[in-house]
Amino acid sequence: MTSLDATTDAARRPFPGRRARFGDLILQGTAGIAAVGALVLVGLIVWKIASGARPALHAFGLPFVWHVVWNPVHGREAYGAGSFLFGTAVTSIGALLLATPIALGVALFLSELAPGWIRGPVTALVETLAAIPSVVIGLWGILVLAPILRDHVDPALHSTIGFIPLFGPSSYGSNVFTGIVVLTIMILPIIASISRELFLTVPQELKEGALGLGVTRWEMVRGVVFPYAGGGVAAAMILGFGRAVGEAIAVALVLGDGLGIHLNLFDTGQTLGGKIALNYQGSGSGLETSSLIYLALILLVFSILVNLLAQLIVRRAARRKGLAA
Amino acid sequence: MSAVELSPLHRPQDRLRRRRVFNRGMEALAWLAAAIAVFFLGVVVWSVAQRGWSQLNLDFLTKSQVQFEPAVPQGLANAFAGSLVLVGLATAMALPFGILIAVYVNEFAPRPIRSAIGLTLDVLAGVPAIVIGFFVYGLIVVAHGQSAYAGAFALAVIMLPFVYRATVEVLALVPNSLREAGLGVGAPRWRTTLGIVLPQTIGGVLTGTTLAVARVAGETAPLLFTCSLAPNGIHWNPSGAIQSVPVAVFELSDSAEPSDHARAWAAALVLILFILVASLTARWLATRSKRKIMRAGR
Amino acid sequence: MPRNGKLVRVSLVAAAAAGVAVVAVVIAGTASAKTTAGSVNGAGSTFVAPLVAKWEAPVSSALGISLNYNPVGSGGGVSAITNKQADFGASDAPLSQFDPTCSSCVQIPWALAATGVIYNLGSLQHLNMTGQVLAKIFQGKITNWNSPAITKLNKGKSIPSKQITVVHRSDSSGTTYNFTDYLSHVSSGWKSSVGTGTSVSWPTGEGEAKSAGVAGGVRTTPGAIGYVDVYYAVHNHLGLFKMKNRSGNFVQPRAKGILAAASLDTHPAKDGSLSIVNPPKSKKFRNAYPICTYTYVDVQRSSGGNATNIKKVLSWAITMGQSFGPALIFEPLPKAVVAFDKKQIKKIHS
Repeated sequence: MTSLDATTDAARRPFPGRRARFGDLILQGTAGIAAVGALVLVGLIVWKIASGARPALHAFGLPFVWHVVWNPVHGREAYGAGSFLFGTAVTSIGALLLATPIALGVALFLSELAPGWIRGPVTALVETLAAIPSVVIGLWGILVLAPILRDHVDPALHSTIGFIPLFGPSSYGSNVFTGIVVLTIMILPIIASISRELFLTVPQELKEGALGLGVTRWEMVRGVVFPYAGGGVAAAMILGFGRAVGEAIAVALVLGDGLGIHLNLFDTGQTLGGKIALNYQGSGSGLETSSLIYLALILLVFSILVNLLAQLIVRRAARRKGLAA
Repeated sequence: MSAVELSPLHRPQDRLRRRRVFNRGMEALAWLAAAIAVFFLGVVVWSVAQRGWSQLNLDFLTKSQVQFEPAVPQGLANAFAGSLVLVGLATAMALPFGILIAVYVNEFAPRPIRSAIGLTLDVLAGVPAIVIGFFVYGLIVVAHGQSAYAGAFALAVIMLPFVYRATVEVLALVPNSLREAGLGVGAPRWRTTLGIVLPQTIGGVLTGTTLAVARVAGETAPLLFTCSLAPNGIHWNPSGAIQSVPVAVFELSDSAEPSDHARAWAAALVLILFILVASLTARWLATRSKRKIMRAGR
Repeated sequence: MPRNGKLVRVSLVAAAAAGVAVVAVVIAGTASAKTTAGSVNGAGSTFVAPLVAKWEAPVSSALGISLNYNPVGSGGGVSAITNKQADFGASDAPLSQFDPTCSSCVQIPWALAATGVIYNLGSLQHLNMTGQVLAKIFQGKITNWNSPAITKLNKGKSIPSKQITVVHRSDSSGTTYNFTDYLSHVSSGWKSSVGTGTSVSWPTGEGEAKSAGVAGGVRTTPGAIGYVDVYYAVHNHLGLFKMKNRSGNFVQPRAKGILAAASLDTHPAKDGSLSIVNPPKSKKFRNAYPICTYTYVDVQRSSGGNATNIKKVLSWAITMGQSFGPALIFEPLPKAVVAFDKKQIKKIHS
């Protein structure tokens, strides 16, 4: 970011001469219009989604957000985001809880521990997987993962730790737990690859200095690497979380489109994005369509907040680092 | 650490040993985490490769889909053609737009506007693809129907922040000595920018574009609303809806037909291979262009 | 420096070539689209999709028109024709079920078939089922296969003790309309708590997209129960219930049962809709299968330049096209309905 400011005033000064100034004007004008275009585009997205959601906003107001109902039957129409908000929260938080420790372990392994011959291939694998389309993970989830979980893992978990209400009776292959595992596999490489890069930016002198003082490698990681890269790792987690929350395709395939709020992870569920993806092609009524757009509006507002938060953390961390240096 | 301070009776040697054991434990956990991750990620890649590989034959690449006729030899040629058109059009829309924004931000904009635009595009990068699909649905599809133009526009919106970020990052690396040299020999600003500064960034821009292409080639959500009602067969005309690889995988994965699943696996494999090639290319381009800019600055 | 220059030039040439290629493809595509005349594009019901897919080749050879169909679900079909995104929409639920609906459309019943209730209990075939028990299963009130309500209907068959997994449609579907319409007819509990619709608020179960998704879900889940057009059931070798009709007989969803039910209503209402669900107790309907439906094609009255082609295809579908049905367990339309359809098709103009 700081290097952006390096363009000196001399370079910015417009050059005298009519033709030159005309050319400058055109370039600056076109580029400026493009930049304004970007602002307009984002504004247009917000406006279009908000205006599409207006009928539902008008009909249900803010309570829509937590109402647990989705009934498209004529004469009984009632819509609310409650089940999907709950499903989104459970799957995303579950995925974040599973993915973060593993991702940090992978990042530490790749940046500090791994022997050279492992480092290259594993890094390549992690980075390729960060780019794998969600529809491929969804395909794998529904055809490979779901049957294994349904036939072996879910019943085993239920019979051993079934006293915890989370691990209730199971019969569906598509369920909340499958969704959590799929999302974990999706966001793990994202958090891992960003964290790895952050850990590598820790100055070698700091690390060697610490090790020279006689601390163990773990103490060096805790005392030097984590504090140095902490803000960035938090931002990476937030971005991974945002990705999980906004995911539609993979979860639409494996969650089983359930309704309601329940603790049992082996029951079906649904997320905001999944509901939209499954009902995109024509809903029975205009109000249902508008309610679907209301779900998109919730997602949009959430994604903007999450990104601003991540930016804030990154900038604060950068400023602190700047002060320390 | 605090546990150590609570037990002053221990001799230093014991403390050291405990610290070492703890360190071993944490290192072992990191190894374990890496093993778990590699196992799961490997299983995903392996199961796609194993199931898709046997389907990757000439029919798969050259013939189109035929619904409800599992016995007829068929492939996904229509989806490949459609994805080519969609991604090509999206790149054609996003690339100039993204580069112009980056030029404005790095070369012209006053500082507050710079950070405002940067932040806006970061926010755009975080908007879920399905929301962008809904946006384009409302903006274009409701009035004009589905088309490859609408689908490509949705993909372009997703690509834009990638292209912008890649361009602005390399523009910032271009040394000022080059700009000053251009202005010094009497070239106007616009010629300096277009003729000297921008060419330096081509490698970086191509890297960013390649990564963006890899990303949108697998995007399903924005196409569901905007470009999924495709006629049979191969079509190149973007004013109508066309089939695409990710939408085909999405549809085939929900089928009850084993031969549909087989084609879905093969298409998934093609997507993964494409992304692998794209990210390797991107990495190669990135190292080359960085080296080049460094040299030009000297 | 020379090497840098080369890289720049190579990259520029590559980028330019890519750009030119895209433009060329687009221009070629636009040009070729103008030369291939005569295509009719539709979208909608997955229920009728096997039949329409079967029509594509003969329509092309008999009429020289390329017929394209996207099985996106009935809701998707009605929305596509309402927004003029297709030449026709297909729906198993009448247009009156949609809001906003296509008020500028003509509705034409163009096929006749049954919704099969499918299950996965290994090799156990042809079990008996009643509407009341079915309603309880889909309400989550009966959750095990060896519940007395089910075993009582199937004396002599050993039904295992297994959890019932309900599978239903997750998208807006005419099959769901047909199925819930039937359940509302036979169960007042269902009618008051869930009701009839192209998608409903399901009390239990796993949602799957489209007919293929439901068939696939049932096929891969032991103990599952679901509902799809009979073609999907037979094609995927799934268990298919014999349903009890009001005359007290357990009937398979095959030609005889469907044709008997169809005779309940052969004179469409003014809007073109018909209802043949759950025929009454009588000698005439002794062998009627209770969950049958006509399925509709919806076309904009003023269809613009493609009107002639659309009319040709539809006229072919309601006459010649019917002969392709029985192999897929779609039965030919009764004569009175075909006569009505011909009048409806005349209403379509450019």
